Amino acid sequence: MHRSLFNILSGRNTRQGLWGLPLLVALLISLWLTVETTQFATAENLFNLVAQAMPLIIAAIGQLVVVLIGGLDLSVGSVISFTTAVLALDQPAIVLIPAVFVLAALIGLINGLAITRFNVHPIIATLSTQYIVLGITRILRPVSGGTVPEIVIDAVSGSFLGIPYPVFWGIIVILAAWKLLYGSRYGLHLFAIGGGISSGAESAARNFGVSDRRNIILAYVVCSCFAAVAGVFLAGRIVSGDPNVGLLFELDTVTAVALGGTQLSGGIGSLHGTVIGALVMALLANGMNLANVSPFVQTAIKGGILLAVVGLQSRKKMGL
Amino acid sequence: MAAVLANPIARRLLRIPPSYFVFLVLLATLWIARPNMLNLNIMGIFVRQIVPLGILVLGQLVVMRVKSIDLSGGGIILLINYFISSGTFPGASMPFFVVLALATGLVIGLFNGFMIGSRRVSAVIVTLAVSIILVGLVQFLSSGNPPGDVPKLFNDLYNTKFLSVPTPVLFWVLLTALVWLLLSRTVFGRYVASVGENAEAAHFSGVPVQRTVILAHTLAGLIAAIAALVQTGSIAVGSVRVGLDLPILAVAATILGGVVFGRGDGGVWGPFFGALCFALLFVVMTVLGIDEPGKLIAQGVIILGAAIFYGVRVRNS
Repeated sequence: MHRSLFNILSGRNTRQGLWGLPLLVALLISLWLTVETTQFATAENLFNLVAQAMPLIIAAIGQLVVVLIGGLDLSVGSVISFTTAVLALDQPAIVLIPAVFVLAALIGLINGLAITRFNVHPIIATLSTQYIVLGITRILRPVSGGTVPEIVIDAVSGSFLGIPYPVFWGIIVILAAWKLLYGSRYGLHLFAIGGGISSGAESAARNFGVSDRRNIILAYVVCSCFAAVAGVFLAGRIVSGDPNVGLLFELDTVTAVALGGTQLSGGIGSLHGTVIGALVMALLANGMNLANVSPFVQTAIKGGILLAVVGLQSRKKMGL
Repeated sequence: MAAVLANPIARRLLRIPPSYFVFLVLLATLWIARPNMLNLNIMGIFVRQIVPLGILVLGQLVVMRVKSIDLSGGGIILLINYFISSGTFPGASMPFFVVLALATGLVIGLFNGFMIGSRRVSAVIVTLAVSIILVGLVQFLSSGNPPGDVPKLFNDLYNTKFLSVPTPVLFWVLLTALVWLLLSRTVFGRYVASVGENAEAAHFSGVPVQRTVILAHTLAGLIAAIAALVQTGSIAVGSVRVGLDLPILAVAATILGGVVFGRGDGGVWGPFFGALCFALLFVVMTVLGIDEPGKLIAQGVIILGAAIFYGVRVRNS
């Protein structure tokens, strides 16, 4: 079972995809920022970086689950905005927090059902729910405002033993996702279904007794729930509901997932790759902010990275 | 439900694009709510407003026939609007802007086509990324502020009428007829149909699949440039927000019109009525006092509803 460094870097012959290269990129950016600026390598900035990267890390892990089965969830950004808007509804936290997850699961369920039962293309299904959820969010909260429950704010702004809470959020979410993807039967089924779909044998998993429909529906539910966690985190950070906070977030998650070496055609990808991908995005944003790059240019650069990482993936299928 | 769908009459009805039914329902709603609005002058104004959308739909339906999608129209419209209104080309004449716009659309469309056809990158990702890059670029160049004025001739042309029908509407009908001819009477049209039916079979029958996809996207870019010119004429000023929601509306109108990823039951006139549906929908929603969030929800429900309508049918055939 010898695996050379080259194989890890190129992601050849693995189910994990190419994740060594983005790690190298992340290290290079950190090194450059450490040398170029005095503010970067301080504990304060690094903790800040973790807090900034956390919503993207959480939502990207959700996106990964869907991408592994060869799907794509474009409603992630809307679910995040929707979550912050619901949390700012001025009701007790004991009602709002469960409500947020029930509603997110419901959105995921609609996506999953439309895709599996009604044969709708994942991109079209999730694009529709993106608009529907965005519309509902704008009705709930036309402009940003309101206050989220105290407990949500406390959960992201405090610190324990000198380590800020966002770090613990990251550890818990990553551990949960690790258990889901690598420590459960469901995770194995996800890779099996995705591997079949990406190689053109869509019923391969079903033939071996893996229920693809139910697992695919569940993947969209999981993705929406992760987006809701990201939304709760963001709501705690901005303290209010904001209908635009999740705008274009779904594309950032796709970029992070693809940057982490996960194949968008399904079946190949890894949790650590996705986390590294999200970190690279956060480091870039941090670096560009320190270098005073215009926010408009930052958007354009993010689009360019998305185009580049997805353009470098080869696949058989043409079109969507 | 399956038994109902197997019924020959039901199957015959399912072949008709949903846009015709929706159009009639909206027309009836308007007739009941505001009968006095149904005259040629008022309708002409409403229909004229959605001409940019209607033109964009023509490009969308061509790429959707080859199982692709183009969401870069928003970026193309914004960029061309910036070229015309920013004063980057002082003293330039209208023909210069038209040529510049068409060249811009051609280059972006060709790039999309190359990435999707040759590099086989997901069409949604490529065209969305292109749109984001263009929007970011334009907003940076104009520092987030509306650039400036548009040469007067654009708006003057837009406001002309021919036999009491607004010229932009006639132009739209003419372009639709041209695309209809292209798809039904030319070799390229046959190629598009066969790639949509089954790309692999088309490949083994000697159809240049890759070239067809690239050409379809180039055409879509070109058509988006035409839509950008009409849109610029209609608002008559520079803007950093114009046209951003048009690509998704174009997808909705195309699906509503019966053209869904490779399936072309609606031809060209189904999506044409799909765009008209949106003209009526906006009027009906304004009349009923439903504002922007309601419109977003309606767009989503229409796309999902039409896609489910087709998904169910495919499974039953």
